[in-house]
Amino acid sequence: MSTPVLQVDDLRVSVAGTPVLRGVSLTVPAGEVHAIMGPNGSGKSTLAHVLAGRPGYQVTGGSARFDGADLLAMAPEERARAGLFLGFQYPVEIPGVNNAYLLKAALNARRRHRGEPDIDAFDFLNAVRAQMRTMQMDEGLLTRGVNEGFSGGEKKRNEVLQMLVMEPRLALLDETDSGLDIDALKIVGRGINSLRSPERSVVLVTHYQRLLDYVIPDRVHVLARGRILRSGDRELALELERRGYDWLLEEQSAA
Amino acid sequence: MSALQRMLEEFASLGAGVGAARQAAARSLQNRGLPGRAEENWRHANLRALDRIQSFLPPVASATATSGSAAAGGALTAPDLPPPLPGFLRLVLVDGQVRSDLGSAPGTLPGLAVGSAERRPTAVTETAVAQTTALAAPSDERLGLIATLFAPAALTLRVSKPLSLEIISLTSPGTGASYLDLALSVDAGVSCHLVERHLGGGAAGSFACVRLDLVLATSATLVHQRLLAVDQQMVLFDNLHARVQERASYRLQQIAVGGGTARSTAEVQLQGRDAALDWQALAAGSGRQVNDTMLTVLHQAAGTRSEQLFRAIASEQAHIACNADTRVSAQARGAKVAQSLRGLVDGVGAELDLRPQLTINTDDIQARHGATTGRLDDDLLFYLLSRGLGPDEARALLHWAFLGEVLKSIEPVALRRDAQRLAAARLSAAPAPELLQ
Repeated sequence: MSTPVLQVDDLRVSVAGTPVLRGVSLTVPAGEVHAIMGPNGSGKSTLAHVLAGRPGYQVTGGSARFDGADLLAMAPEERARAGLFLGFQYPVEIPGVNNAYLLKAALNARRRHRGEPDIDAFDFLNAVRAQMRTMQMDEGLLTRGVNEGFSGGEKKRNEVLQMLVMEPRLALLDETDSGLDIDALKIVGRGINSLRSPERSVVLVTHYQRLLDYVIPDRVHVLARGRILRSGDRELALELERRGYDWLLEEQSAA
Repeated sequence: MSALQRMLEEFASLGAGVGAARQAAARSLQNRGLPGRAEENWRHANLRALDRIQSFLPPVASATATSGSAAAGGALTAPDLPPPLPGFLRLVLVDGQVRSDLGSAPGTLPGLAVGSAERRPTAVTETAVAQTTALAAPSDERLGLIATLFAPAALTLRVSKPLSLEIISLTSPGTGASYLDLALSVDAGVSCHLVERHLGGGAAGSFACVRLDLVLATSATLVHQRLLAVDQQMVLFDNLHARVQERASYRLQQIAVGGGTARSTAEVQLQGRDAALDWQALAAGSGRQVNDTMLTVLHQAAGTRSEQLFRAIASEQAHIACNADTRVSAQARGAKVAQSLRGLVDGVGAELDLRPQLTINTDDIQARHGATTGRLDDDLLFYLLSRGLGPDEARALLHWAFLGEVLKSIEPVALRRDAQRLAAARLSAAPAPELLQ
């Protein structure tokens, strides 16, 4: 059996002394799309950010391995260069840093990590333009500050654009669907699907199953009260859509 | 002996014939004394540096020296200077004296007069204060008076047709002090682009002092860029006073990165209806630099507008301060004021003091102001790290973006590159070379 892209075992995380993740275990093999669903405050975003290396979280137990390497021992930039991409729920605006510069710097950081030369400027622009067409984005956004003055939908599309350009081994998308209208949702779904391949994996963090109409997951996990309460296939997401989360929480309480 | 006493004694040693303007300056300094840290507007300036200055006299001290001499900084050659800016005439002063061998000869610069120290309207600022007593304007030209005392040649320049002029004021190595005293007026309806560079440096504690008086007549336009970039060993004090008349427009971009101790005092009077000021200033300091900026803007007529933007990064143990004082008189109905002061602290021992002040004496005004001081936003930093940029690269990129608000609009491009290079040298982590364009 090949090494999974992501292997999380009994991960425990606190924020300012308060436990948020209380023993999360998750295995994401190569080529699969997993959805993590759950109610507000269940720890979904915490999981994504801890895996990406955001400071401010205390890992109090457990482990996380990325392609077999100890993910938690790596600096955030090392994780990114190794192929882990975090799509933010609330992408920040960085006036003065233009999109094209950041995309190129990010891509070259990844290429250097792999021992490859920096990308040729012409090839870079061609590649980015092609991905922008996929995401139905105006090329003018390339020369604007990162997310500066972007609408909510443009910010989310820009996150997916970055993901497509970076071609990560593992994409963690934190509520990329939130705030999107139905057309934008389709475009984002198309972007994510275009990344799917036997070598790449995607973890979608989401409240609702509507994104899963466009990106069909291989596995669905319900994270609540800091733990994965149930895992299943796409049917689980549809059941959650019908019944909400309470029945699962009640089942857990009864158990 | 106090710095003031020493200064006045040196001035007295110049002997007879120093001119009425200089004598008036000496009297004014004697009466008013030098600024002190007990004064609110001077509390962040490093005035102790004045005591460390060995001599206030320039190397060739003369009340009658004019121009063309190669004595001051004689070893300097044009290649030591920045490349010429395309389309600009260039005036080079070394230790306060015009060096026609390094730039345009005074005779080729229309409207330029050298040595007419009497041209300055007496107590310009005091007159302005008298006009706006209700505002209690904090005008302070005391350090500018030092330039009037010792500048070998006071310069006046009347711009009566469009002009692009670069003034380079250089303190030659080993020099104790250099001075620039310039009065520039732009005639009605005329546009002028003035680039002012202060460069060079001498021994530790050497001194450069600048006085600049500007008058923009009705509908005149002045784009004015200042690169204050003397050596870090130096003490730099500059004093700018501008009067902007009806419908005239003054754009000032100041890059202050030089001097171990620097104090920049500017007062802009928007005197005429619809007069406008666009002030953008950048200060970047490292090591133990002390950089203090004081801006006073007086809105004295209806429809006047001012935009004030200050960006600073204090690295290592540098101390940067900005006091932006805007006063709107009762006559300035319909005035618009926008003031934004922001600073980043990038060192354990670094310090930033930003002080926005707004005094409004009319109901009919649009005003907004804000000041923030802090460290880099952790969210921004993490975002870049999550894209694979290293911590130093990410920090440098964010610093650069922050300063870009001032740097990006500097024209011509060659000047912008110089300004970028100077600012980059003061940052704890250098931005990527491709950002310097």
